[in-house]
Amino acid sequence: MILLEINNRNVEETLLLKFKNALAGHKPESIDVTVADFDGVLFHISNIKSDKTKIRTSISLKFYKELQEHGADELLKREYGDLLIDPEDGFNVSVLIDLENIPDNYEEIAQKIGLLKRNCFASVFEKYFDFQEQGLEGEKRAVIHYRNEETLYVEAKADRVTVVFSTIFKDDDDVVIGKVFMQELREGRRASHTAPQVLFSHREPPMELANTDARVGDNIGYVTFVLFPRHTNKETRDNTINLIHMFRDYLHYHIKCSKAYIHSRMRAKTSDFLKVLNRARPEQKSTEKKTITGKTFHRKE
Amino acid sequence: MAATLKPYLTAVRHTLTAAMCLDNFSSQVIERHNKPEIEVKSSKELVLNPVVISRNEKERVLIETSVNSVRISISIKQADEIEKILCHKFTRFMMMRAESFVILRRKPIEGYDISFLITNFHTEQMFKHKLVDFVIHFIEEVDKEISELKLSVNSRARICAEEFLKRF
Amino acid sequence: MTEKFFFGGSVSPITCHAWNKDRSQIALSPNNNEVHIYQRDGNDWKLTDVLNQHDLKVNGIDWAPNTNRIVTCSVDRNAYVWTQGEDKKWKPALVLLRINRAATCVKWSPCENKFATGSGARLISVCYFEEENDWWVSKHIKKPIRSTVTSIDWHPNNVLLVAGSTDYKVRVFSAYIKDIEPQPTATPWGKKMPLGQLMAEFKNSGTGGGWIHSVSFSSDGNRICWVGHDSAINMVDANSGMNVIKVKTEYLPFLSSVWISPTAVVVAGHSCVPLIYSFDGSTIIFNGKLDESQKREAGGISAMRHFKLLDSNSRLENSDTLLDCIHQNAISWVAIYGGDKSNATKISTSGLDGQLVIWDLNTLTRSMQNLKI
Repeated sequence: MILLEINNRNVEETLLLKFKNALAGHKPESIDVTVADFDGVLFHISNIKSDKTKIRTSISLKFYKELQEHGADELLKREYGDLLIDPEDGFNVSVLIDLENIPDNYEEIAQKIGLLKRNCFASVFEKYFDFQEQGLEGEKRAVIHYRNEETLYVEAKADRVTVVFSTIFKDDDDVVIGKVFMQELREGRRASHTAPQVLFSHREPPMELANTDARVGDNIGYVTFVLFPRHTNKETRDNTINLIHMFRDYLHYHIKCSKAYIHSRMRAKTSDFLKVLNRARPEQKSTEKKTITGKTFHRKE
Repeated sequence: MAATLKPYLTAVRHTLTAAMCLDNFSSQVIERHNKPEIEVKSSKELVLNPVVISRNEKERVLIETSVNSVRISISIKQADEIEKILCHKFTRFMMMRAESFVILRRKPIEGYDISFLITNFHTEQMFKHKLVDFVIHFIEEVDKEISELKLSVNSRARICAEEFLKRF
Repeated sequence: MTEKFFFGGSVSPITCHAWNKDRSQIALSPNNNEVHIYQRDGNDWKLTDVLNQHDLKVNGIDWAPNTNRIVTCSVDRNAYVWTQGEDKKWKPALVLLRINRAATCVKWSPCENKFATGSGARLISVCYFEEENDWWVSKHIKKPIRSTVTSIDWHPNNVLLVAGSTDYKVRVFSAYIKDIEPQPTATPWGKKMPLGQLMAEFKNSGTGGGWIHSVSFSSDGNRICWVGHDSAINMVDANSGMNVIKVKTEYLPFLSSVWISPTAVVVAGHSCVPLIYSFDGSTIIFNGKLDESQKREAGGISAMRHFKLLDSNSRLENSDTLLDCIHQNAISWVAIYGGDKSNATKISTSGLDGQLVIWDLNTLTRSMQNLKI
C-alpha cells in the first residue's frame, strides 16, 4: 500500500454492513461508533433518538470554520444534498441515512459518506482552482490550520495555483529522513511529465510566505506544489484534490514506515551480532539434563 | 577505498590480540574491590599507552589497555546526515541492550560512536580469539549495514515520490 | 605422554595449583574462594576435601612437601596455613598478614619454616610460626616497593627472596628472621642480610617494560629469570655482574616462568603454549615449544548440534573455535610435577580454560631433536 486511501474505509464498511443487513431483513441493531481519521478528524456514527433505523454519521474537523469561509457548506450541499441534517452537538457536519428507506444506490452513498473528510477539504481547493481558471489574481491567500501548528496555504495566480504545506517533524531524525523524501520528490518530476513542480524548504518558509506569521524553526519544513492548469481543470481537479489533500499524511506515513523498517533491520542485525558474540562462549561441558519427572540424564553428543 | 580496509582490520586484529592479555587484578586503592582499571584509572602504572588505529579521518579505533581491562572505542564512517542518524540510532539501539551484549559499554567514549569494555572476567569465560573476531566482525558489518539501510531509505523515498507524482 | 585433565566438569579457570610431595594429590582453586583437594585415582581425580575458609577469590596456593602443610592466600587479605588432621581433613590456621589489600601470591621457603606473601598493599609479608603464642605472625618488607607485588620466589638458602611487581621492577630482598634461623652466609647477591635489605633491583627495561608477571630463582640461587608484560624473557646472573640479559619474543606476554634445569626455563602465558628457553650466561636461546599439536580435525557433528550452532551462533561450523594447541586459553600457572628445579622431568600447567596438563619433558625433548636442556 503505497498510496493512502482517501476515504475512511471504517465508516464506509460500517454503513455498508448496515445497509446489507437491513436489505437481508435482519433486525437493525443499535450503533454508537467513534472513528478517528488523519488530521485530528473524528467520525461519530450513532442512532438518532435510539431509533435503530436512523443512522447519523457526523464529522468533526477542528478547522471547519476556516473551510466554511471557502464554501465548504455549499460543496457539501452539492455532494450530499438531502442527506445533510443539522450537525450533531460537538460536530461540524452530520448526514443521515434511513434504513427503512434504502435507495438503490446505497453503495454509492456509503462510499460518499466515507469521503466526508475529503469533501470538506475539497472546498478550498475548488475555490482557488476556480479563481485561477477565471484568471482572478490578488485574491486573499487561504490559510487552513489543518493541524496544531501545521498550516496549509492556497493561493491562485492567473497561470497557477500554489499549495504550501507547513509540516512539523517531531523527531530530529524525521527531519533528515523527510529531507531524503523531499529530495526525491523534487527529482521525481523527471519520472512523470504531468507531475506538478515540488519545492521544499527547511526551517524557513518559501518566498511567497515571507512577511506572514509562518513559523520558522529547525523542525519545520515547507512543501510547495505548483499546480498548473493541467492539474486544476474540471476533468483533473478531483484527482488533484484527492492526492494533494493527503500529501502531508502520505509523507509522514512513509517516514514512519522507513523508521519502522530501519528499526526491524537493526533488531535483526543486533541479534545477529549477539550470535557472533556467542561464538566466543565455550559450550557448556555438562550435558546433564533433567526430565520433567525429575530424573537426571546425560546426553551423549 | 576497499584496499585500505584489509590492512586496517589486520592492524586492529593484532593490536586487540595483544591488548587482550588481561589478568585478575585487585584494586590497589580500595580493599576487597576489583574494578576495571581502564575505567577507574587509579594508578598510572596500571594503564598502558592507548593506541589509535585510523583508516581515515572518520574511521578509527581507539584501544586503551590496562592490567585487567581493555576499552575499545570505534568511530564509524558517517558521510552525510542520514548516515549520521542511522549510525546514532543503531549504536543507541545496541547500547540499550548492553546487558545481553556483556562487553558493550553503555556510553561511548567521547569522540567515538560505540565503546566496548572487556575485562579479565570476560576473557576468562570466553575465547579470546573469538572476542577479537567479534570486534572485527562488528567493524566490518556496521559499515555495510549502515550503507544498506541508507540505500533502502533512499529507494523507498524514490518509489514513494514517483508513485505519488505519477498519479497527477 | 602429555596428560590432560578437567576438574569437576566445569569450564571455569584454574587460578593456581600445587602438588603434594608424591604428586598423588593436587590442590587447586577454581577461580573462586575455594581450594579443592583431589586425590589421583588412575586416570580419575577424586575430590577429597574442599577448603573454604576464604571468602574471596584465592590467589595463591603452595604445598610444603615435607611438612605437608598447605598455605593459601586470597583477595580477602588473609592467608591460612592448613594442616591435615587425623581424620584426613584439613584444618585452617589464620595467619596475621597485617595487610589491607589483596594477597596476591604465596610461597613456602625451601626449609618450610616460613613463607612469604606478596600483596596489593605494596609489601611482602614474611610469615613464621611463633611458638609462645601458637600462631603465625608476619614481618613486613616495605621499602622500596611502590606497587602490587605479583610474584615471589625463594632463594635455596632460605633467606633471599625475589619479588616482581606492577611498578615494572624486580627486586631481591633478604627475608631473614633472626628469631628462628641462624645467620646466613654470604651469597653472590651480597653479604649483609638484615630483614628487608634490598640486595638488588632491576628495571624490566629502560623504558618501563610493563608489569612483572613471574619471577624465579634458579636451583643454585645465582640466577633470576623473570617475565613481564612486554613478552620478553629476562635473566640475571649474580656472578656475572648483575647484567640483565633480555630477549624479546614474538609471543603474547608470559604469565609464569619456572627453571627446569640450571640453564633452562619453561615460560607460558597468553600464547597458550609452554616454551623452553635456555641461558648460557650471556644469551638466551629459544629451544622449542612443548606443544606441537597440529591443526585439529573437526569432529563429526550431530544434527542436533548442527541446529544448535545455527540457532545460537548463526553459522554452520565451529571448526575455527578451537585453538591449535592443547590449552585453549592463557596458561596462568606452571609447576614442576616430576623432579625439581635442577632437573625437572615433568611439569604441569593450568590456565583459564580450566585444564590441567602434565607435560613429560623427557619424551618431549627426545621427540624434538634440537631441544637440549
